[in-house]
Amino acid sequence: MPEGRIAVIGAGPAGLEAARLAADLGAQVTLIEKNDSMGGMPIQANYAALTHGFRSAEEAMGEMISAVAEHPNVDILTGTTVTAMSGSAPEFSLTLSGGESLDAGSIIVATGFRHFDPGRETQQYGYYEFPDVITLADAESMLKEKNFVRPSNGEPPERVAFIQCVGSRDRQIGNEFCSKVCCGISSKQAIEIREQVPDARVFIFYIDMRMYGYWENEIYWPAQEKHKVNYVKGIVTEILQKGDKLVVRGEDTTMGRPMEVAMDIVVLAVGMEPSQGTRDMAGILGLGTNKYGFIEQDHNSLDTVATSVPGVFAVGAARGPADLDDSIATAGAAAAKAVAFVSAGVLA
Amino acid sequence: MSREVSPKVDPTAVLEIEHLTLEGMDISGHWNRMFDQRVITDYDISQLDRVTDLDGGESMGWCYQCAQCIAVCPVDHVGSYGPRKLYRKLQVGVDLFTDPDLWLCTTCANCLRVCPKEVDMLQIAPAIRKEAVLAGNVPAELQDVFEKTARYGNPLGKNAKRRAAWTRDLDVEVPVISEVGRKVDVLWWVSDYPSYHPRGIDASKALASVLAHLGVDFAILGAEERHDGDSMLRAGESGLFEMLAEQNIETLGKYEFDVLLTTDPHAYNAFLHEYPARGGEYNVVHYTQYLAERIEEMGLDQSIDLNITFHDPCYLGRHNGEYEAPRRLIEAQPGAEFTEMWRSWENGSCCGGGGGGMWLDGHAAENQSMRLSEKRVLEAVETGADTLCVVCPYEVSRFEDAVKSTNNDDALQVLDIAELLAQAMGLASAG
Repeated sequence: MPEGRIAVIGAGPAGLEAARLAADLGAQVTLIEKNDSMGGMPIQANYAALTHGFRSAEEAMGEMISAVAEHPNVDILTGTTVTAMSGSAPEFSLTLSGGESLDAGSIIVATGFRHFDPGRETQQYGYYEFPDVITLADAESMLKEKNFVRPSNGEPPERVAFIQCVGSRDRQIGNEFCSKVCCGISSKQAIEIREQVPDARVFIFYIDMRMYGYWENEIYWPAQEKHKVNYVKGIVTEILQKGDKLVVRGEDTTMGRPMEVAMDIVVLAVGMEPSQGTRDMAGILGLGTNKYGFIEQDHNSLDTVATSVPGVFAVGAARGPADLDDSIATAGAAAAKAVAFVSAGVLA
Repeated sequence: MSREVSPKVDPTAVLEIEHLTLEGMDISGHWNRMFDQRVITDYDISQLDRVTDLDGGESMGWCYQCAQCIAVCPVDHVGSYGPRKLYRKLQVGVDLFTDPDLWLCTTCANCLRVCPKEVDMLQIAPAIRKEAVLAGNVPAELQDVFEKTARYGNPLGKNAKRRAAWTRDLDVEVPVISEVGRKVDVLWWVSDYPSYHPRGIDASKALASVLAHLGVDFAILGAEERHDGDSMLRAGESGLFEMLAEQNIETLGKYEFDVLLTTDPHAYNAFLHEYPARGGEYNVVHYTQYLAERIEEMGLDQSIDLNITFHDPCYLGRHNGEYEAPRRLIEAQPGAEFTEMWRSWENGSCCGGGGGGMWLDGHAAENQSMRLSEKRVLEAVETGADTLCVVCPYEVSRFEDAVKSTNNDDALQVLDIAELLAQAMGLASAG
């Protein structure tokens, strides 16, 4: 039997999976979540269907939450944060926001990401200026309610544009990385829009479509071939208001021509940044981070979950942009390693 | 059918002055770079929808702009055209049903060969053209050929009764099957150009001699044969194709034969892929395939001192996978040297005659910098070969015209493989 408790910080998809698996392997687990409810970003941000299987986010996360909530080996602390850590592996001592302390043999950090705020650095897309300029997360909420309309007037849109790579792949903003999931999520949302508002035409303006693996044939191709979503290479430079329409301006690069096209809704495909929780935990636990604030991974070690602190593992989007498959996979790896660590006292 | 002209260009106001200098800088020829690019102000997707809604047009909407088609599209070699570009034009609202681009595809299949998304111009172009034909938006020269073919059964508008006239004055007998009154081993589907065109007739005479010398029990249909219809189908006249197919299947049904021998790869393609679904199933072979099995019996003992290059017909090679039979025949010629063109086998460049291109010479001249046949002849000359060997009856006349128009009369002759074989067999009627 594993000795020593495993603390999992964050109850999103990765944290829930890590807690469940570690508990299944016989460990005692404490799952710490700062919000009052579990489920992480898919629940907090009202995701509609998950990428890439189109499963209801509420339903899929509900199953994960139940598995943990009903597990005899898991203690759940919601509305709780970690405020300090002392000791070292395998005898960590965490101080919690209520003042109590928690002894743990190993810690799994699953504190995730936040959506890039398109008004944070530049205002070129007028997110805080034009009501009909929204983000992927805003669009998710409307799609979940099956009420995809122009926020300005409540009317269904005739033309919808997605602009890719907002807040990603940008040296000026400081996020030079690709956020990995936005191409797929935009395409998934485009399909949902075409299904919910069949008269709406949907355009995706992109630099490169990064539909890795099966997202290519399971999302991108059906979006284009079956749902007739239009992909145009060249992202929009700016959005201007003209009458009651938004005009997206840029270059249509494969035509080699300037482009100024009226739209009803523009969806900004915002990328990922480390969440405040990830930044806080990196500081409190003393974990190395990269220049973007994600928890650093030693790319040469082929260890997908190790951190700079032995006995502390990082999973999911706390490590960098990740899709759900990545998050669940790293959670599984960390759970197994944490159990091995507390069982044998092995320094990973 | 004319292209949209930007209102910013008044052609009469454009002056091209040789060595125009401005502040010491020679700006001759720079005027045409000084216009503003037209701004795309709308993506009128209705035009793309019109195409993808057609039966056969669906895959036009699958293009993800990888552009592999452009490098192998023969029309792009002499202009600016290709499936990737068509897709974008449709996305910005160009009406392809009335655009000159509609008639540029020769259905050569080189784009489909390389397309990762299987955007199928072989389905798309005929589907759109069918609608244009129904609407009467067809280049006049092609419409004329449709009408001639409907009336006379051949695109040349020749007298159907004189289809077998070429067999007279031959020193071998070319029996007409209706007069034979029994089953034959081989029914030779001669096709139109080999029956009527002077250079096609040369090849037919040579092939008749070769078959007779081999002792083949063969016959032709003579006046009962009609155009196979394949190119009419690709050019959008599916009604005409159906009529021809029905007539030809009925005619063939009257006779007994083991092998249907075709001169024309387009006919070969139709018999292989279109006629069976309409009740016409035959043991069809192209004449190069038939002869390649009989090289030993041919007695190729006359040395021919030629450097030969070979043009793969699209409908024999890419469409039907036969590349080796003609090459085996060329390589069996004693004394001949064989040099491949740089675009050959699967990447053979089109002569421009397929998909109705045979009858769109004026349209091609208006929309391309040169004919595809001329481009191909230049490639043949580039190899250093003195003889361009062909195995498709569209090609002898196309390439001979191109040899003349590119001033290569002294450099290159165009010969059907049957003419070469007859020479090597020492047959009197050769060439």
